[in-house]
Amino acid sequence: MASITRASVSMPSLSTSVNQSQRRISGLNSVSFPVSGRSMIPSLRLQRGLQVCCAAKQETVDKVVAIVKKQLALPADAAVTGESKFAALGADSLDTVEIVMGLEEEFDITVEEESAQSITTVQEAADMIEKLVEK
Amino acid sequence: HRRLPAVIPTPPVSASPFPNPKSQYCCLSRNFSAALTPLLPVQLPSRMETHLWYVVPDEVKSAPLLSKYMELLPQSERDHVLGFRGDQLQKSALLARTLVRTTIARYQVDGHLDPRSLRFKRNIHGKPEVEWETKDGFCPPPLQFNISHTSSLVACGVTMNSLIGIDVEEKRRRTKNNILAFAKRYFTAHEVEHLNAIPDSELQQQEFIKLWTLKEAYVKALGKGFSSSPFNTFTIRVNTAAQQASSGIAVETLDSPQNLTNNWQFALLELMGSHYVAICLERQETGGAGKAFPIKLTARKTIPSVEDELVSGTNAVVTIGGSVTQF
Repeated sequence: MASITRASVSMPSLSTSVNQSQRRISGLNSVSFPVSGRSMIPSLRLQRGLQVCCAAKQETVDKVVAIVKKQLALPADAAVTGESKFAALGADSLDTVEIVMGLEEEFDITVEEESAQSITTVQEAADMIEKLVEK
Repeated sequence: HRRLPAVIPTPPVSASPFPNPKSQYCCLSRNFSAALTPLLPVQLPSRMETHLWYVVPDEVKSAPLLSKYMELLPQSERDHVLGFRGDQLQKSALLARTLVRTTIARYQVDGHLDPRSLRFKRNIHGKPEVEWETKDGFCPPPLQFNISHTSSLVACGVTMNSLIGIDVEEKRRRTKNNILAFAKRYFTAHEVEHLNAIPDSELQQQEFIKLWTLKEAYVKALGKGFSSSPFNTFTIRVNTAAQQASSGIAVETLDSPQNLTNNWQFALLELMGSHYVAICLERQETGGAGKAFPIKLTARKTIPSVEDELVSGTNAVVTIGGSVTQF
């Protein structure tokens, strides 16, 4: 009987038995997104009264990434970017709250529970931080 | 361990409330290259019962079996599973969807037994529910369920009627932050005091995890989303009276501190010596003087479509909080 061990790369039998084009991030050993040196999204500054959300500074994103990696015990070279979803990286609700607590300490902000629950990606966390820091 | 050899055929599970401890599906051989063996039906929980089903991911090792599980899922759920980073996370996500689909299918609510045909939706607050087919004359049953999983355990609780929330966690889960600092930030003053009063750091850590799972279970039972019940707006009170075998657990919301909220009852279990499972149920009936009946619990360890093992009343499931009778 075939067995899946920790060292094996993803579950190839899963993704090959379904449509190949659905194949996603496939395992700890695979390289998926290269970590970009600079954000490709130009930063738009908010005009007062507009609801358009600006993309956070790369520096903020990097700090969030560091906190997330630490909380989830991910290797330093793990591919984590703005688009990365906490849940997909393995964060459960306790991890998410701990991540938020870590962000509060790092940036000297207070995050209301409602806002904390709405953060699902690194980018969303960074955007929220910048909004709070601006205040 | 009550395990029977796989090759001996056994009769299907009877409708009796006390079935054989171990029911085997696969009669002839562990040949998973064929389609998944048809699911064996189970009896719906009675109005006062709670069914707990769980899977231990480390015990599900067959790649072909996992592939078959994937085939039970609609494309959107497969995508969701594959979106997790790494084997372990994908596997527990897959087992969670498989467990909920196969378990609900086995109750044969609409007469047939196909886990593939179940549809799920979310209520307005985001809580997952079954979307029953509205055929003529078909009244959807008040089946309630809730799932929780870690990488090492996947669990599903089922009731008829009672809103249910469950949460599972490894006993030895450690927080990265200091427990008291975390509790001061997110829990209530009473809970901080309760934790602070525990001198042994190991026990304090375990008590923290117990509180966390109980609080999660409550919010999940309410089904209104975490933002509607921030953790610092309700207190979980654990009464540890020396004369009681296990403690009573109650929830008290800050907006009505005088009255303990009697609508909800709790069970806290230690599973396999390694995990805490917190269950929160909507109280259906009370006995005299507002006392609740104990929670009637049936616990089964399962590998979907392969085997079940009735574990209630064994060392695998130990009640450590709340009033529970195991069947």
